[in-house]
Amino acid sequence: MFKKLIKSSEAHGTELSRTFADAELICREGDSSAEMFVIRRGSVRVFKASARGELELAVLTKGDFFGEMSVLEGLPRDASAQAIGEAEVLVMTAGALLVRLRRDPTFAFELLRRLSGRVRSLNARLVLAAGNGSDSQRPGFGQALLYQSEAKPGGSTARGD
Amino acid sequence: MIIDTTQERMLVVSDLHVGNPYSAATRTLGEFFEYAESGRYNLCINGDGFEILQARFASLAAESAIVLRGIRRLIDSGATVLYVVGNHDIALENFLTAWSGIHITPFLNVTSGSRRIRIEHGHLYDPSFVKSPQLYEWLTRAAGPLLHFYPDVYRLWDHYETLRHRLRPRLSGDRQSSVYHEAAAMLLRRGFDAVVFGHTHHSEDVALTPEGRYLNCGTWVRGGSFVEIDRGQLTLRRWGD
Repeated sequence: MFKKLIKSSEAHGTELSRTFADAELICREGDSSAEMFVIRRGSVRVFKASARGELELAVLTKGDFFGEMSVLEGLPRDASAQAIGEAEVLVMTAGALLVRLRRDPTFAFELLRRLSGRVRSLNARLVLAAGNGSDSQRPGFGQALLYQSEAKPGGSTARGD
Repeated sequence: MIIDTTQERMLVVSDLHVGNPYSAATRTLGEFFEYAESGRYNLCINGDGFEILQARFASLAAESAIVLRGIRRLIDSGATVLYVVGNHDIALENFLTAWSGIHITPFLNVTSGSRRIRIEHGHLYDPSFVKSPQLYEWLTRAAGPLLHFYPDVYRLWDHYETLRHRLRPRLSGDRQSSVYHEAAAMLLRRGFDAVVFGHTHHSEDVALTPEGRYLNCGTWVRGGSFVEIDRGQLTLRRWGD
């Protein structure tokens, strides 16, 4: 029995699966929690408070992940996340992330690809903003840029779509 | 590079080992490509399509030309051909992209119907490969000349692997039977509905969780098996059945 428990714990690291009800907050902007989340079921809205109310940054679905910046940097949350309908997420601390990366190396590739996309997008937008000056002064400009780069590149094909 | 892709109809094959003296792929793939074309399927070669490590250059060049012509016809008919790199063909990453419009990728996250499917060769979970990739490659290369003198050595190895694969679950009781099942379970936990590997040469279709499946598309070295994806439904099939 102990062997089975150890095996199960090794397989899952310290990852926890949690279910959130509709509109329940998964994480709140400014909080100092240090976990990241992978959506297993349902959808999640990522948003940020601004002078003009809530600014929606992204709606994420099954397989998407968020909150990785807090895990990697240990800084307070940059945005809030809320379940749309019932949503199940995998919660990973830094330790669990390391176990995951050891056993699921393609997750590292996906994480780096996401961060690389954000840097590329930010660079492009900063060059644009430098051209017309006003854009970079808008509230939430930086965060909106981060999530605008979430669009998944290419891949859909004509056959049977 | 395509990683995330939407594919409603796609066929997945792996471990063709074109150029290997024991591979039957060159003889049988022509009809399979015709099947893909007439059924309007896209195609994914899930690693080890070409035998870079063990084939003699002359046979690799001759046989791969036949297969690449078939792939070219498929692409010309409007199909997308994706190639997930395996451990026997890492060297092809640059060559194939430049040569024939095949999309090379390390793995795929496929959305089909309402399902998310991971397609990956699977060598990253092979303990022998992970512990010592250089030794693994050296041993694989060293076995190459032996195959040319005595092709049946592959049959012996294949019997040994089949036996090991069958006995392993019995020897370890009812616990997790393979590292590939464990790896697939890790992937299923993060939002995939199905995981498709190759590499082991053993086709299988296993329900690892109530909603999550692991499939292995087997090999075309002897016979041929493949995974058919049709609007989120996955079926493991044997070519010719």
